[in-house]
Amino acid sequence: MAKINLRPDEVARIADRLGREPSTVELHAFDAQWSEHCSYKSSRHFLKKLPTTGDDVVVGVGQDAGIVHLGVHAGERYGIVVAHESHNHPSQVVPFEGAATGVGGIVRDVLCMGAQVIGIADALRFGNVSDPASHQRSVACGVVDGVGAYGNAIGVPNIAGDLYFHAGFDDNCLVNVIALGIVKERDIIHSRAPQDSAGWDIVLVGKATDPSGFGGASFSSVTLEADDAQANKGAVQVPDPFLKNVIMRASYRVFDYLRERNIVAGFKDLGAGGIMGCSAEICAAGGFGAILDLDDVNVAVDGMPPEVIAVGETQERLMWVLPPDATADVLRIYNQEFTLPEIAYNARAVVIGAVANDKRYVLRHGNDIVMDVDIDFLTGSIRDDLPFTARGGAGGSTSALRAYAHHDIARDVGFSIDGEPHYKSYDTAVRGRTVLGRGVALAGVLAPIPGSKLGVAIAVAGDPYVGERDAYAAGEYAVREAVRRVISVGARPIALTDCLNFGNPNDPDQLGDLVAAIDGLAAAATELGLPFVSGNVSLYNAAGSGAIPASPIVACIGVIDDLSDVIVPAAS
Amino acid sequence: MSARVAVLIFPGTNSEDETLRLLRDVGVDAELVHWSRGESLPGYDAYVLPGGFAYEDRIRAGAIPAHDRMMDHVIVGAQRGKLVLGICNGAQILLEAGLVPGIGPVRKPTAAFTHNAQRHFVCEHVRVKLAIDPARSPFTAALPNEALIPAWAAHGQGRLAADVDHLREISEGGHVAFVYANADGTTDGATPNGSALDCAGLINREGNVLAIMPHPERDAWNFNHPATREGSDILAPSGGAALFASIAAALGV
Repeated sequence: MAKINLRPDEVARIADRLGREPSTVELHAFDAQWSEHCSYKSSRHFLKKLPTTGDDVVVGVGQDAGIVHLGVHAGERYGIVVAHESHNHPSQVVPFEGAATGVGGIVRDVLCMGAQVIGIADALRFGNVSDPASHQRSVACGVVDGVGAYGNAIGVPNIAGDLYFHAGFDDNCLVNVIALGIVKERDIIHSRAPQDSAGWDIVLVGKATDPSGFGGASFSSVTLEADDAQANKGAVQVPDPFLKNVIMRASYRVFDYLRERNIVAGFKDLGAGGIMGCSAEICAAGGFGAILDLDDVNVAVDGMPPEVIAVGETQERLMWVLPPDATADVLRIYNQEFTLPEIAYNARAVVIGAVANDKRYVLRHGNDIVMDVDIDFLTGSIRDDLPFTARGGAGGSTSALRAYAHHDIARDVGFSIDGEPHYKSYDTAVRGRTVLGRGVALAGVLAPIPGSKLGVAIAVAGDPYVGERDAYAAGEYAVREAVRRVISVGARPIALTDCLNFGNPNDPDQLGDLVAAIDGLAAAATELGLPFVSGNVSLYNAAGSGAIPASPIVACIGVIDDLSDVIVPAAS
Repeated sequence: MSARVAVLIFPGTNSEDETLRLLRDVGVDAELVHWSRGESLPGYDAYVLPGGFAYEDRIRAGAIPAHDRMMDHVIVGAQRGKLVLGICNGAQILLEAGLVPGIGPVRKPTAAFTHNAQRHFVCEHVRVKLAIDPARSPFTAALPNEALIPAWAAHGQGRLAADVDHLREISEGGHVAFVYANADGTTDGATPNGSALDCAGLINREGNVLAIMPHPERDAWNFNHPATREGSDILAPSGGAALFASIAAALGV
């Protein structure tokens, strides 16, 4: 059974607010919502330094994915949807599944904005893999297989990425994934219960809920300990890209159905905190509460405890908030037209609750009310002010950057598996919209809109060999290098995303690195006039040998107004 | 009136988007037909089976979808002379359905596109060379002799395998429609997956069923190969579109 990582003072705060001892379900719910993974409690206040606004920002940070304006085609404004996350701990513990579910999760973040998913990028950091029999090498191979297997099966090309090896990742690899989507700006769907939606249906879509991934959010928010290995494995989810392939296509059909009828709905990915986290956040974001019946959830095994149904992180699930007169048609699309119940055991779309007018979050199970809390208390921001060591600022950066100049990376150099670059196991051309795929240039380029000359470029950057010397310089470098790479293919940079992979925030030096790196990111992005539109913080990346090198990893999105002008590097 | 073409979607298909778009860009009247709407298939004049991982490649790539209800209609159509094209996973399905090389009974496969020599998925830009007389098949009639067509190999199971006698039968019967080739047309070292006979594509005796492993439809517009674009329009079909243009000609477009 997953353990609760809430601190005693946090449990006391919950009991005080509820006026009673919290139930088991409530403890697990707060454990997920108040984990660093969901709450950013020890990092959010530092992130405010990052620039997040600009003329091209259509949807800024705070939703499942950011959206930037790409351009106009045939009178329609189009946006590029982008999301960036880590799946570090799961990939270290169960490499194939951890990396695959990382791709699966980021794809859902883009899908739930109403977008078609058009591309993937990955930034990988592994330990020393020179010994073919080493655990580090098996982690690296498993991760590469997992990233490829998932993206290939759903039919989304992997078009950009980078890869480093450093002994600092021997016990804690990094797997950062970025997904891109395309959407007409008037068709964007938001992750919130729409206006006047009290009484609307809450519809769960996808895989039958099972005991996998129980405690995932909380597990991501502590350091990995060897003696917890078995419990940690249970916290990793199980990927099903075959089912996801069908869910994506069925969801595209639902988008068309809703647009034809001008129906506004809410749509959100189930990630950390499972059914509870998703339903609470989508309803709270609209200013509502929710009442759900856990007995209505489609489950894979009978007799699961309510906290596992409510908080477990089974993959391949999404949630709609729908007006009741549209529900039957949406269920028909998923269950009959796209035959979800025939694709995977007990997969389906099913009504599990309703949006509530009061701001209570209520879960029923059998004859019992197993959770009844103020929804804003559950989902609202919490903050931990942990002490940190101030690092040297801009002055310290130049020597580290000079050291970097010795690296000579002419293009996207892969990790050799059987004498071939690792990315050769990633499909880079599926969908037929690839202009520059993996291994061609420093950035990937897509033609996202059929019939349009508009292009989108993406590149990632972040150097652990700078990070181990100077976290501020690593942040500055990641922004500047990602921007340079996008410019190198002839694109105009318009937005950034970041994933901040750092150590234990309870260690003032390690938290100091995070703070310094954010300063570096903010300084470079501000100077270049580029906003961050999506991001993620992954802390507690520290196992055995100490903290990982400071690893701010940045992706830059660029626009090419006419693909005739794309710059192709000369063949090597 | 030109022929109507169905692009079939099985659970797990992932290349319907580019396949449909290229068919339409070369003038073919094509539409997607989804697995829950398979009863409409007899009304179409030709079938295209796109790439993907239909039914998750369970048992073998193509094995389960070959028994999908949709394939009942495709098999009947093929036997009546309708054109049937399978690309990548679609090609694997046609082998499992016994339609190519087509020497044995249906749904009793005699050869397979199976695991690559590397034993893992390989994504690589390739060229395929026409290895039969263009006039042998409506699919290739508009192509020049030994036409070189760019494509993306993107598969884990693309290596032609069969017993030695059957491989000889396939070779001598003129069933190898396409081989992997280098830019100069030679074949040495061009095969990305260890495929027997350097085979990239197989055709049946009658020439109306073609199974090709690499994806010409993913390198089929100038923007897919900006350094070697043909003409000034970055959106114009080119490269791999040549095979589809030949198909369009066969369909009377």
